[in-house]
Amino acid sequence: MKKQAFLALTFALAFTLTAAAQPKVGDVLIKNGAVLTVTHGTLENTDILVRDGKIARIGQGLRAPDGVEVVDATGMYVMPGIIDAHSHIALSAVNEATNPVTAEVTMEDVTNPYHIGIYRALAGGVTTSHTMHGSANVIGGQNETIKHRWGFTNPDDLRFEGAPRTIKFALGENPTRVHGKRGASGGKAKVPATRMGVEAVLREAFADGQRYMEAWDRYEAEKKRNSRAVPPPYDLRLETIADILRGDVLVHCHSYRADEILMLMRVLKDFGVDKVTFQHANEAFKVAPELAAFGAYASVFSDWWSYKFEVYYSTAYNAAILTRNGVVTSVNSDSGELDRHLYHEAAKSQRYGGLTDDEALALITINPALQLGIADRVGSIEVGKDADLAVFDGHPLSVYAVPQMTFVDGVRYFDRQRDPDDVRLFVDPEASLDDGAMISNDEHLHELEAVGDWLFHLK
Amino acid sequence: MFLPATRPAPAALLVVIAAALALTPLRAHAQTDDLPTVTRTYALEHARIVQAPGRVIERGTVVLRNGLITAVGADVAIPFDAERIAADSMVVYAGFIDGLSHAGIPKPKEDPNRKRPDDPGNPPDDYAGIQPQRDARAMLEPGDKSVKELRKAGFGAAHTVPHGRMLPGSGAVVLLSGDDPGAMVLRGDASLFAQFEAAPGVYPATPMGMMAKMRRLYREAERRRMIERMYEENPTGLERPPHDAVHEAFFPVLEGRKPVFFFVESALEAYRALRLQKDLGFPLALGGLEQSFDLIDALKDARAPLFFTLGLPKAPKKKAEAKKDSVEAEMAAQYDPSIRTATYRDLEAERRNLEARQRMSREKYLKNAAMLHEAGLRFGFSTMDVKPADVHKNLRLMIEHGLPEDAALAALTTDAADLLGLSAMLGSVDEGKIANLVVTTKPYFDKDAKIKYVFVDGVKYEYEVKEKKKAKAGGEAANPVGVWSYVISTPMGAFDGTLTLEGAPDDLRGTLTSSRNPGATELRNLTFDGNELSFTFEIPDGPGTLTFTVVITGDEMEGSVNVPGMGEAPVTGTRESGPDRL
Amino acid sequence: MNLLLTLAFALLLMQPQSQDGDVPKGYQGTFAITNARIETVTNGVIENGTLVIRGDRIEAVGADVTIPPGAEVIDAAGMTVYPGLIDSGTQLGLAEIGAVHETNDFREVGDLNPELEALSAVNPNSVLIPVTRVSGVTTVVTEPSGGLFPGVAALINLVGYTPEQMHAGGVRMMTLEFPASGRRGFFDRRSDEDLKKAAEKALKKLNDVWDRAVLYARIDSAYHAAPDPDHKPEYIPEMHALLPVVRGEMPLMIKVQREKDIRAALDWVQERGLTNVVFSGVAEGWRVADKIAEAGIPCLVGPVLSTPTRAYDRYDKAYANAGLMRQAGVTVALRSGESENVRNLPFNAGFAAAYGMGREEALRAVTIAPAEIFGIADDYGSLEPGKKANLFIADGDPFETATHIRQVFIDGFKIPMTNRQIELYREFLHRDEGRLTPVKVVPPSN
Repeated sequence: MKKQAFLALTFALAFTLTAAAQPKVGDVLIKNGAVLTVTHGTLENTDILVRDGKIARIGQGLRAPDGVEVVDATGMYVMPGIIDAHSHIALSAVNEATNPVTAEVTMEDVTNPYHIGIYRALAGGVTTSHTMHGSANVIGGQNETIKHRWGFTNPDDLRFEGAPRTIKFALGENPTRVHGKRGASGGKAKVPATRMGVEAVLREAFADGQRYMEAWDRYEAEKKRNSRAVPPPYDLRLETIADILRGDVLVHCHSYRADEILMLMRVLKDFGVDKVTFQHANEAFKVAPELAAFGAYASVFSDWWSYKFEVYYSTAYNAAILTRNGVVTSVNSDSGELDRHLYHEAAKSQRYGGLTDDEALALITINPALQLGIADRVGSIEVGKDADLAVFDGHPLSVYAVPQMTFVDGVRYFDRQRDPDDVRLFVDPEASLDDGAMISNDEHLHELEAVGDWLFHLK
Repeated sequence: MFLPATRPAPAALLVVIAAALALTPLRAHAQTDDLPTVTRTYALEHARIVQAPGRVIERGTVVLRNGLITAVGADVAIPFDAERIAADSMVVYAGFIDGLSHAGIPKPKEDPNRKRPDDPGNPPDDYAGIQPQRDARAMLEPGDKSVKELRKAGFGAAHTVPHGRMLPGSGAVVLLSGDDPGAMVLRGDASLFAQFEAAPGVYPATPMGMMAKMRRLYREAERRRMIERMYEENPTGLERPPHDAVHEAFFPVLEGRKPVFFFVESALEAYRALRLQKDLGFPLALGGLEQSFDLIDALKDARAPLFFTLGLPKAPKKKAEAKKDSVEAEMAAQYDPSIRTATYRDLEAERRNLEARQRMSREKYLKNAAMLHEAGLRFGFSTMDVKPADVHKNLRLMIEHGLPEDAALAALTTDAADLLGLSAMLGSVDEGKIANLVVTTKPYFDKDAKIKYVFVDGVKYEYEVKEKKKAKAGGEAANPVGVWSYVISTPMGAFDGTLTLEGAPDDLRGTLTSSRNPGATELRNLTFDGNELSFTFEIPDGPGTLTFTVVITGDEMEGSVNVPGMGEAPVTGTRESGPDRL
Repeated sequence: MNLLLTLAFALLLMQPQSQDGDVPKGYQGTFAITNARIETVTNGVIENGTLVIRGDRIEAVGADVTIPPGAEVIDAAGMTVYPGLIDSGTQLGLAEIGAVHETNDFREVGDLNPELEALSAVNPNSVLIPVTRVSGVTTVVTEPSGGLFPGVAALINLVGYTPEQMHAGGVRMMTLEFPASGRRGFFDRRSDEDLKKAAEKALKKLNDVWDRAVLYARIDSAYHAAPDPDHKPEYIPEMHALLPVVRGEMPLMIKVQREKDIRAALDWVQERGLTNVVFSGVAEGWRVADKIAEAGIPCLVGPVLSTPTRAYDRYDKAYANAGLMRQAGVTVALRSGESENVRNLPFNAGFAAAYGMGREEALRAVTIAPAEIFGIADDYGSLEPGKKANLFIADGDPFETATHIRQVFIDGFKIPMTNRQIELYREFLHRDEGRLTPVKVVPPSN
């Protein structure tokens, strides 16, 4: 028996022990691509030098410092990493659908770094996702902004450091169906069953939050005078709403109809909240001037419509109308299928209403970055920004363009030429191999949030 | 350390326990009969005594009296009232400690008529599974079958917690003996048990809901405790703080007197528990941790007592069709990330890759304990959701995958006791400790070691040790002599060759060759017992001594080869020639 | 280029419409599309040609075609003419608003409904239809779904006021949802054992139904050969509906997705010696492509824009599936599986093209290939004289989003290039234009 054979055996058994530690920031020189900066036009035959995860230089004829890998992007297009302003990937659960107000829950508690959807999104050039609570509740949970650092298993490693807190609101059919029409989880129906009720729930929640904030402010003041001051009851839900009122949490509101969009703007104005992004907002085009005047943002689908009544009077020209009316607009996925081709979704938005290339690309880069409060870090190719980049073999607005590489903080997480087929981070040691197969026969599972509560309890 | 601040001084505690025990009648019986117990003094003579990992008396005596270990040594006097047990060739260990289980607490039946709350957003606390004020001590049933099963597996003590959902109640450390619930309790109110088990359809129904609820409960408990303190100091002029059992149950946690003991199954649940601990700052202990291979660094940072599950994934079942072409399939059965399943032609390669990845995944679980150990983490074990009968087999798998035997023993005994804050009473075979012992026929971690006696709280439990089945009586014993071809399957591919066995079944010698190398290696330590063949051979400059163990059925053999520190690889073989070839 | 397109399109939208109150309406006539690049699909590309439409038919196609007197001439300089795109699997006309059950007619109660006709429930006035056809999709299979035999699917042209006017080539296909052995999704928590049992039970039911249909057909044939009015056989609508299928006169469209189920369906088809069969969906077809090709069963594949079926699949497997099947020799047509967004069929084809199928094969898969599969290639699927005038004029590659479809003809009708989505655009792009009183932008608090 030759020892070589058994050394091989020994090695084989040993090599599964530990995965090598991954770096979190990278250095790379991407040479000679057509650089779609989004904010400063297209730079032909241009190099991007990345150091420590940041874009260090943009220019021609850049030389790679020692030890920095060079990627030849001749004939390719380099665009900012795509940002999905509305996603439910990488989450262990989506809806705490038991109460019309659940501001206290936060998706950062249920980030699931093992979810294959993260890699699939990377393979579509997406580097950041806004992973949101569902739309069962008028005030749902807080959302999480993640970077697609595939391979890390600690949820903390996916967090977009420094991204502002955001919270999900929801108007219209979903909250009224879940709570009002029959009552959540078989309970008794309760407010809201109508759009009027939705407004009432919002106003009551804000008023309670205000009183809570005042009570604690009073206590903090009194504590200085009186060592026996008694603190008011602690309530994480109201505390979160108070944080919205303080301007510490950005509102992202699931909404469709023009009337409910106007309603929320009224309510927010009354309570002094001025940062809001209307999500989906299929009828935002009808109130584009009001949105522009408020300074509200819109994050829309390229062409989804008619999957429920409140989106019947939609138009795929929504993004174009909003853009032309001066509303900062993004195109999002809300889907683990669409998020793999957001560049194509942007291209469709360009088709319907004739946006320029830069306007179309802005829908999935700088505009969602503005809406998430991270535009100083990502969303365009500029020196000093995070090196979140996507490389395509054709113009990303072409249907024939195939994403080739995706970088987050200068680290290559997707490479079409190099990656293995099976990229799972977790393999069930017991499941029969057939269990990998899972097909949804339902081709009409549009809009994750619309399809019934059972869908929300993803494992 | 579990509860360093409040651990009583050992001597004082011993006095208390001894006094308590002295007053206790001869209440316990051996499990085998209902006859009266004549004496509670035992002397285990001529045994190999493993007092603690690395501390061994090769041939000595242990004396137990009134529930305590009263003497241990090579040469100790045997009291007149002792039942003398000849433990020649047996091994004595400290009784094992289960860090987290439902030992002695029967699972309550769900009330089918329980009415769903009208408002799922505000369910009653008990419906939502928020019952931290409940106490494991009130639920103990000494006769519960879980107690017998755990004891039979060598466990003398367990940290047991109530069944339930998110916050089922407080845990207690109990001795797995006796018929009086109260007397079982070694330490009550030992932990605030928590798990990510949502109530169906009511708040909090999701992991993020439970996280938020925990934060709110904890912060509100802090506030209430503060108010209560103020009121205790001087009630005049203050509104009377309302009594609230749920929040009050957190007070000992706030005071650092007991930990929140989280049962976490997946890596994600573990991260969530760690996250809550970071936010709120409570003392934390973790049990379960079956995917801790993915969070070694986070566990290092957490410095929480860990109780690692004794459960392991089952080996995947092979499909019938996969067996047929196993030789070819196994020959290439290594994971190759460069293999692409480009078309229908590649499905076979895909299947092999998938099987290889699955094996690699299972290996991770098997190496998990070794990884914790290598990372310098001390841990105990938990039998939560584990069949006690699997404990021995699973421990052996962990050891085969790199967990040192001493570390395994420490996790069962000394480390578990220390992490639970019970080293003064449990965990080693030392004078003055509670008389919890395990007595085995061979060193415990040997494959065919059997537990002969378990002593819990000084009560003897004796187990019948079945002799291994020999070949059919009267039937012809198998004869392994002949030339065999074998295949060893490893994640790096299959290794095949020839095994030549000569001589007679009770006097075998043989050689092994590999198809990758013509040279032959001598086999050592050849034994053949009924139908089980085992031998060892050396790989010079290699991993050391490899042990080959197979069961022979007719002209087929199936078993495994053990590589030290690496684990086991399956092996199959077929007899090509030989006198007994069918 | 982009600006030009925008401008051109804007001009198109601003074309004067008819009188006040009039609704733009399609019409037939004699049309000559001149100076066009003509992609015939079956006879190559004519770089500068003319295509003449008369009534519902293409009268002439070529470089040297005389423009008939009185023809409405459409100068298509710089444009390309393509055959109308065919979507081989939709619910168009049967589904209006997803979550409003009252507007959906594709799923009947029960498992065994072969007597149902999709064509009877097609709503010619569906708002979804004009939204679809301006994309160049002229013809779709609309299909019932659910259960075992959900009904008879039909091929329809996206123009007409009655189902009869819409029915394309008389194509009807019996739909069979082949019993699926797998989980329906992550929410399906049935045990392996339960899944297996359910699949076996469903397959047994299918076999029972089929055996009875065969028996029914035998009795029916015998009766008609020698009618015996005293013993007229029972009339069983379900069995009656299956008669043409059992006799091979009506195609059986088997919806099947998973590898395991495809293999089972192949066996099932072969055991019964069925020849008039197509598969639909076929998400894991690439895994069994050789077997499908060998069996000679054409496949209606899609949606292309979907996620891989298995967690360990390469991320682009759904995009690549159709191309891989084609390369293995399977006859492939594409389907979107959509209702309100059938307009995305060209992009499904574009993705299939980009991920291995190639543009030419992808174009065939939405034109001539389905026409051949449905047995209507004499009338549909390419630009040839005598064929149905289903075609469109585009300013570029129809699979590219930047391309605009300038004019669509269906059944010879010059289709008005508008729909509710475009009307909303025109109304709301500059909403307050023409308003004299001041615009109140942010509504006051109430």
